Amino acid sequence: MTLLPLVHDGLLVGAILFALGLVGILARRNLIVMFLCAELMLQGIAVSLVAWSRQHGDWGGQMLVIFVLTVAACEAAIALVIVLQAFARTGRLDAAAWQSLRESNLPRVIDHGLPAPDTVAPRFPRLTPAGVLPEQDEDEVLHREHV
Amino acid sequence: MPSSVATLLVLVPLLPLAGAIATVVLGRRLGPRAHLPAVAGIAGAAAVALLLLLGLGRETGDGHGPSRPVEMTTTLWEWAGIDAASAGGTAEVPAAVTPDGATSPQRRFSIPVTLRLDPLTATLLVVITSIGLLVAVYSIGYMHDDPGYPRFFALVAAFVFSMSMLVAASNFLLVYVFWEAVGACSYLLIGFWFAKPEAARAAKKAFLVNRIGDFGLAVAVFLLWLTYGTLDFHDTLAPDGTLVSAGILGQERLGDAAGIVGGAVGTAICLLLLLAACGKSAQLPLHVWLPDAMEGPTPASALIHAATMVTAGIYLVARCAPLFVASPGSLALVSVVGATTALFAALIGTMQNDLKRVLAYSTISQLGYMFASLGTGTLLGFTAAIFHLVTHACFKALLFLGAGSVMHAMGGVIDMRRFGGLRRVMPITAATFLVGSLALAGVAPFAGFFSKDEILASLHARGWPDAHHGPHHEQGHGAGAGHAFGPAAPHGATAATAAPVFRLVAASPARQASPSGLDALDSPGTFRVLFWMALVTAGLTAFYTFRAVFMTFTGPTRIPEEAAGHAHESPRVMTVPLVILAVASGLVGWWLFGTHALASFLAATPSLAAPSVAATAVPPAFHLDLALQGTLAAALGIALAAVGHLGRRSDGPQMERFLGPLGTLFANRFYVDQLYAATVVRPLQFIAHLAAGFDRSVIDGVVDAVSGLPGAVGGIVRRLQSGLLQRYALAGMMGTLIIVLALAWQLR
Repeated sequence: MTLLPLVHDGLLVGAILFALGLVGILARRNLIVMFLCAELMLQGIAVSLVAWSRQHGDWGGQMLVIFVLTVAACEAAIALVIVLQAFARTGRLDAAAWQSLRESNLPRVIDHGLPAPDTVAPRFPRLTPAGVLPEQDEDEVLHREHV
Repeated sequence: MPSSVATLLVLVPLLPLAGAIATVVLGRRLGPRAHLPAVAGIAGAAAVALLLLLGLGRETGDGHGPSRPVEMTTTLWEWAGIDAASAGGTAEVPAAVTPDGATSPQRRFSIPVTLRLDPLTATLLVVITSIGLLVAVYSIGYMHDDPGYPRFFALVAAFVFSMSMLVAASNFLLVYVFWEAVGACSYLLIGFWFAKPEAARAAKKAFLVNRIGDFGLAVAVFLLWLTYGTLDFHDTLAPDGTLVSAGILGQERLGDAAGIVGGAVGTAICLLLLLAACGKSAQLPLHVWLPDAMEGPTPASALIHAATMVTAGIYLVARCAPLFVASPGSLALVSVVGATTALFAALIGTMQNDLKRVLAYSTISQLGYMFASLGTGTLLGFTAAIFHLVTHACFKALLFLGAGSVMHAMGGVIDMRRFGGLRRVMPITAATFLVGSLALAGVAPFAGFFSKDEILASLHARGWPDAHHGPHHEQGHGAGAGHAFGPAAPHGATAATAAPVFRLVAASPARQASPSGLDALDSPGTFRVLFWMALVTAGLTAFYTFRAVFMTFTGPTRIPEEAAGHAHESPRVMTVPLVILAVASGLVGWWLFGTHALASFLAATPSLAAPSVAATAVPPAFHLDLALQGTLAAALGIALAAVGHLGRRSDGPQMERFLGPLGTLFANRFYVDQLYAATVVRPLQFIAHLAAGFDRSVIDGVVDAVSGLPGAVGGIVRRLQSGLLQRYALAGMMGTLIIVLALAWQLR
């Protein structure tokens, strides 16, 4: 089976896009950039699907890409909301700020260090005091200054 | 047994049990009145027991002529019953020995819960419940304000229940059960103040030492089962009056000379029973627990460790009298152990400064007296032992309660060197204590004089058989000889037919050659020595008793600071039982001896009415020479004590100093505790430490290693759970890559 030059180029572009996305997701800590990289990987796959579709003369592959784009749009909306919520909770877009799922007594993995936490004291809503101050996770104490 | 009598007999243990349960249930709610159920239960039992005794006394007749055995049994229910057929044939069930020597293979294994009433049981029931009642009443005053007030009364009532069941049970297994039950009550009462380390240790010691004796009883019960094929005391009769199975101490077996198994098996059983009795009754070499048991509350010491529980061994030997008579060597050993213990404990008693410990050693000594008397194997000896048991229960309970009264007033101080001249402070206690001491010392006409005289007479009769009532006595022994003192061969034959299990042992040449080395003990020479030992003990008893009296109640009045200035006579609830006991100690010996009521009553007990025992009966007599000797010994002892202690300060230099190293030996109780510590306790502790070390290092080590392995592996793997998103992504990617590469490798 010989590959058409166009198909060959298409696959190459798809692979480059996928690899770029993969490297981005592994290397970056900004949630939005990571999300963009994930999209990049998705589009790399989409490009290779289109290329294969041309090779086989089957429109099914290109139809599938349209579906993928549609689904990706929905997924992007959801993912962006999650990112926004994450930002609202921590005030950061740093994926390293979300490490509380690790084993209990392992140290935080902070490569290159987190930005110094704000020195502003946390502001709590002025409610009638009730009971003792709840115990707080150290990650949360570190990041929740806006609650 | 008439049903009314059966009901009354069941009520005796049942009422204290109900009292104990009610105290347990209601104790906290009743508060300071928590004694009510227990005292009411024991009082009811005492009344019923007295009723039974009087009724039975009428049954046994006027005491003239040969007594016919009186025995009533009532079976409440069958505890365990297995048919021989369902037990897989007769192989597992040893064949029963019927009195004519034949074996009957068709038998059931059955443990009926049967209570019996005979003179011995009735006498002891009255002693247990009446002393129990007085002690319980006394405890209302003595124990008040104790945080464990309800617990104390529940335990005392439970003890009275167990003890009455022990003497009323008509089955060796039931005896064993309640033998353990009284031991448990004793343990709980010694350790009543369990937060006090000495009390906890004393309770543990009592329990462990008793365990040795209990082991003997357990093995004896097994042997009895193998030998006789039944554990019942009584004969089991069918409704039409035919014999179903002959009990070990039943009329059927006792009436026949070959009914009781002698020889090696019989001796083994008797020695094991003696071991059990030594444990419970604190005889050498198992006496060490009783002095320590004084850590318990004084009323408990009075009831359990002086008057009743420690006499369980006496009861056991008296109940098994026909077994012992069939094995003369072990019977003589009973006497030897008893007299040795009596002398030994009396010597220790002379150097003790703790009032309760003096009384404890005195108890051991008096129990030794009873054993010495039992071991003579004559009817006089058995009845004298029970007689002494009854009088001893009165005056020793009195002395203990008096000591408790002193302790109560002195703020818990019991060291006689720290107080003195208390007769001015507590006149009633002093007077009653004096009566108890006179009774214990054997001064006429107090109780101890008469019972001690009978014991000395029984020993004397065996030591110098010719001097005693020539023809009658000889005839008695002659009649007994064919049965009890006969040559070994018939015993061997009996044992062979009796117990197939032991046929080899019984018929072996070695057995034939040396019948039983023990039997050599059963000679007049032995009893002569024992008689002199008993006489010396009588003098020593008088000495240490009056030493205690003089140290405590005479001399300048001194009161320890613990009494905090309010040393006073005890309240009436405590002094009234003292007075009652004092009156009893004064009168009971004279009355029982004068009328011979107890001796002729007890002679109607089936065990003591067995021909082998009854043949040794002698007409009641007062031995003036022996009485003089006993009184002389007592007077000498009292005089010595008076020289050393009458009117002197009890903390001054003591007369006993002149004994020198011998005195040190007595004061340190012959170093028996140290000997046990060196030979038994330390080696056991060493082995225990070894075992503990092995357990901790090797066994726990292996288990810990196995349990540590998953943890260690997890510890390594869990580092992967960093919580960092990128690492998870990398891991996922790598995994995918590996799968892809593997696929590519396959599709190559």
